[in-house]
Amino acid sequence: MIRTWLGGLLRRRPTRLAGAAIGIAIAVALLASLGSFLAHSKATMTGRAVRAVSVDWQVQLQPGADPVATQRLVRGSAGVQAVQDVGYGTTSGLRATAGGSTQTTGPGMVLGLPNSYRATFPQEIRSLAGSAQGVLLFQQTASNLHAAPGDTIAIGRAGLPPVRVVVSGVVDLPQVDSLFQKVGAPPGTQPAAPPDNVVLLPSGQWHQIFDPLATSRPDLVSTQLHVRRDHRLPADPAAAFTTDAAVAHNLEARSSGGVLVGDNLGASLDAARGDAAYAQVLFLFLGLPGAIVAALLTATIASSGATRRRTEQALLRARGASARQLLRLAGAEAAVIGGVGAVLGLVTAAVVGRSIFGTARFGTTTGTAVGWAVAAAVIGLVIAGSSVLIPARRDLRERTVASGRATIGIGRYPWWARAGLDAALLVIAYLVYSATSRNGYQLVLAPEGVPTISVSYWAFLGPALLWIGAGLLAWRLSDLLLGRGRPVLRRLLRPLTGRLAGPVAGGISRQRRPLTRAIVLLTLALSFAASTATFNATYRAQAEADAQLTNGADVTVAISGGTTVHPQAAARLAAVPGVHGVEPVQHRFAYIGADLQDLYGVRPDHIRNVTALQDAYFQGGTAGGLMGALAAKPDSILVSAETVKDYQLHPGDLIRLRLVDARTSKPRTVAFHYVGIVSEFPTAPKDSFFVANASYLAKQTGTDTVGAFLVNTGGQQTGAVAHRIQSLLGPTAQVTDIANVRGKVGSSLTSVDLAGLTRVELSFALLLAAAAGGLVLALGLAERRRTFAIAAALGAKRRHLRSMIASEAVVLAVLGLAAGGVLGALLSRMLIKVLTGVFDPPPSAVAIPWLYLGALGAITVAAFFAAAAGATRAARRPAISVLRDL
Amino acid sequence: MTARSNGLATLATQPSVVCDNLARTFGTGPAAVVAVYGVSCTVAPGSRIALTGPSGSGKSTLLHLMAALEKPTSGTITWPALDEHAQGHPGRIGVVFQGPSLLPALDVAENVALPLLLADVDDREAARRAADALDLLKISELAEKLPEQLSGGQAQRVAVARVLASRPRLILADEPSGQLDHHAAHLVLDVLLQASDELDASLVVSTHDPVIAARLDTQWTMRDGRIDADLPGAPA
Repeated sequence: MIRTWLGGLLRRRPTRLAGAAIGIAIAVALLASLGSFLAHSKATMTGRAVRAVSVDWQVQLQPGADPVATQRLVRGSAGVQAVQDVGYGTTSGLRATAGGSTQTTGPGMVLGLPNSYRATFPQEIRSLAGSAQGVLLFQQTASNLHAAPGDTIAIGRAGLPPVRVVVSGVVDLPQVDSLFQKVGAPPGTQPAAPPDNVVLLPSGQWHQIFDPLATSRPDLVSTQLHVRRDHRLPADPAAAFTTDAAVAHNLEARSSGGVLVGDNLGASLDAARGDAAYAQVLFLFLGLPGAIVAALLTATIASSGATRRRTEQALLRARGASARQLLRLAGAEAAVIGGVGAVLGLVTAAVVGRSIFGTARFGTTTGTAVGWAVAAAVIGLVIAGSSVLIPARRDLRERTVASGRATIGIGRYPWWARAGLDAALLVIAYLVYSATSRNGYQLVLAPEGVPTISVSYWAFLGPALLWIGAGLLAWRLSDLLLGRGRPVLRRLLRPLTGRLAGPVAGGISRQRRPLTRAIVLLTLALSFAASTATFNATYRAQAEADAQLTNGADVTVAISGGTTVHPQAAARLAAVPGVHGVEPVQHRFAYIGADLQDLYGVRPDHIRNVTALQDAYFQGGTAGGLMGALAAKPDSILVSAETVKDYQLHPGDLIRLRLVDARTSKPRTVAFHYVGIVSEFPTAPKDSFFVANASYLAKQTGTDTVGAFLVNTGGQQTGAVAHRIQSLLGPTAQVTDIANVRGKVGSSLTSVDLAGLTRVELSFALLLAAAAGGLVLALGLAERRRTFAIAAALGAKRRHLRSMIASEAVVLAVLGLAAGGVLGALLSRMLIKVLTGVFDPPPSAVAIPWLYLGALGAITVAAFFAAAAGATRAARRPAISVLRDL
Repeated sequence: MTARSNGLATLATQPSVVCDNLARTFGTGPAAVVAVYGVSCTVAPGSRIALTGPSGSGKSTLLHLMAALEKPTSGTITWPALDEHAQGHPGRIGVVFQGPSLLPALDVAENVALPLLLADVDDREAARRAADALDLLKISELAEKLPEQLSGGQAQRVAVARVLASRPRLILADEPSGQLDHHAAHLVLDVLLQASDELDASLVVSTHDPVIAARLDTQWTMRDGRIDADLPGAPA
């Protein structure tokens, strides 16, 4: 009997079965693809964290520790591949004579490196000029000393005569912060600034110079063991962090206090595991709704045949079929739909995974891969069961044979509508949102050095409840509009249907429940797509803003301290091919009270031509407004919020800063007037700083020396332009481009790889919106072929049938698009607010992806059009042959 | 109510339908089914004809051909009593279908008015004529009910009211009492005859029921797609 039934279903209702299977396939594919995303992004984060580290461990030998025994101990630790001992000596100062003038510096560090050091840690040192071997000067130091390869410098030693060495080359130290870290500093300690003056010596030469100092001043000389570890770590950053930290702690324990481990690898993984937690949250925020929409789509598709199923069920019951037999038939139908959908979904996910993430696996390990695949397939089967089997069971229990033949009955208002669940959910959503979007609320809490991280999934509740509550409200409003608003509907449909407006409006009104379900589904699908796309667009915009804020502009040329460059030099840079604009920025230091802060002098009328200033960077006015204030009153100044608080400043207040006057080389007091707060500014540090008018600053200090040039390339060829400028200015100029900075920005913003998730999400969202609109409408219309055939037999012409079909499509499209648009806008704002922790800096405005939204609307409308056109074409069949077939 | 008007006076003396060597075949090749073959007949104005015969004999197909809902495979069919523009337009031919034929989402009044609206009759006029038809058949109390709330007999009487409201010159009823009990079947035939009288329209009813057939003036019996010429009442 089951085989006969299924055979009949496959022959007679292939579209509905295929539609339901497609719905399940979308849900399964989306879940499995998200599994791929999670696995891939976690592995990416781990890989990126590992690659970001040059020296995995810096093992600091404690006074009295036996170097040989310690090195043996370190080499014996799990996963250690290479160990190099590095000498750290403190110099009292460096001196160089070049071009007739002598330059001296303050204290600095001199490192002694083994010959194989650069081969073992290739990312640690980058040659800029001269030889790669011998005595190497740090770029900043070379600039301070005005020294170049071939020059002789003197290395000062406390209490001992200086030693003269010949410079072989100039190098950059990309990992300078970790290289000079204070090993063993407690977690959360503010990192110490690296020294400006650094000399690298071959190990033998270093020992000759600093061994005597180690005898007289052992506090100025120390030794570290730099370690490279095996990078085959667990793909999950949290697991990789735990593994690495455990081995490091084990080493410290076994050395009995002889060593302290500066765990650079662990610190990098520590940051990555916080990002992984964000990825997990993003999965929840952006992934699950898609799967839920797909499940609802399946249920709606299955329910589009519910009337027919009830009629068939009533017929079978009237012919003596038992409830058990009917349930078995429904179960077989659910199994076929679920099975086909699950297989189709997994295959689709594998294809998506391979094309987007480069892997068809659904997890990092075989266990997680199988787990994701099985979980996604089981969810598909559950959706099939709940869409087909549960309604069939409910009908069997609650419906009589006679009521089963009824096709229109509106039924009672659902329990949730009577209880006002929609309003309650919206109120709770608002309350949760208010609580979780307050300042200081942390979505992901990953305390530095602590192995556990905590993710606040409560924050997920606000948008989730808004989504569900608004979906239910859309149901209530649609039901109300289509039910009680029949006269209005009739008037609105008259231009489309002419004299048929009354019957068409009446028909839509009486059959409003399936239509209302379709509207809700479309609302949920569209809002999911719109909010995902908007979140993603804002995320990308902020990533770009973050990179530009860090670098300053597309390309930034930093002028080394001690070098005097005037704004007129901008003309040389402006002549470089690919440069659209150059803007000089002054950089000074100013005392406010006892605090020393950075002071940036800008040309307020021009600065925005080369770099983006977002309103979110300022308080007390917009970016344009405050730049206008600086231009209008040259003694205006922008200060940080902390300074405003510390000094109880009010707009218009006089501020006296102490600046060095270039004419006298002595500090002098300069008066400014406070006009607004600046929290972020291109090239500025995260802490307190000032922004003032460059011309006023130059006039008051007697110099217009430039600190940096911000170069606008129109966002194009930033790397090439930076290379050209570097070639023009020579190796001592610090030229950085935004493309290079994008990969280095250490915030969670850029490290969570959203691109893959976005591609998956947005593609599925389009598919869901099209299916929620087109497929549901097509199936609903297909179920009413008999109605159209009877109308045709009664004299309906093609235009009549077209207007009847189009009316339904228009009602569904207008209400669905309107409700989806409103909910999408609300949800986008809420998502962005709740996920503020992902953004750095917080966005000043939501970036609206008009292109995607336009495509979304167009595809949805096209799906409606296709469904309506298909139904119209089907209605052209001779009425009698349709009635005969049905 | 009468359908006769001055403009149609000359048409009233002409036959409602003339079939000449009519044939209708479904499908092609070995699977082809010949439903109607070599049928020549004339439905005289005001005549009441019962079309009888076993299942599959071609009754429904012949009615559909007369209703212009099917096109003949060969032969010709004309409707001389209908004006030229109405030929082939179901609005001038009223059809009562076998089984449920009301639109489930429309109430009874809307169902009855629908063919008028499709024929571009003004909304109010259509509503008035629908109400008159229901009133005439004494089923006004059903006006606001949905088809699923009606019994089979009520639904068929509403279908007849729908025909009546359109004021056709020819009424064709395909097994109108096929799924009804004896009493309901006769009630339906009563309203069909009443409608035919009111409109002075020709009436052709296909039926299995000899008692129903006996209430009509003429009986045509079909067998294997042809009208049996040997039986009394067969068309000349």
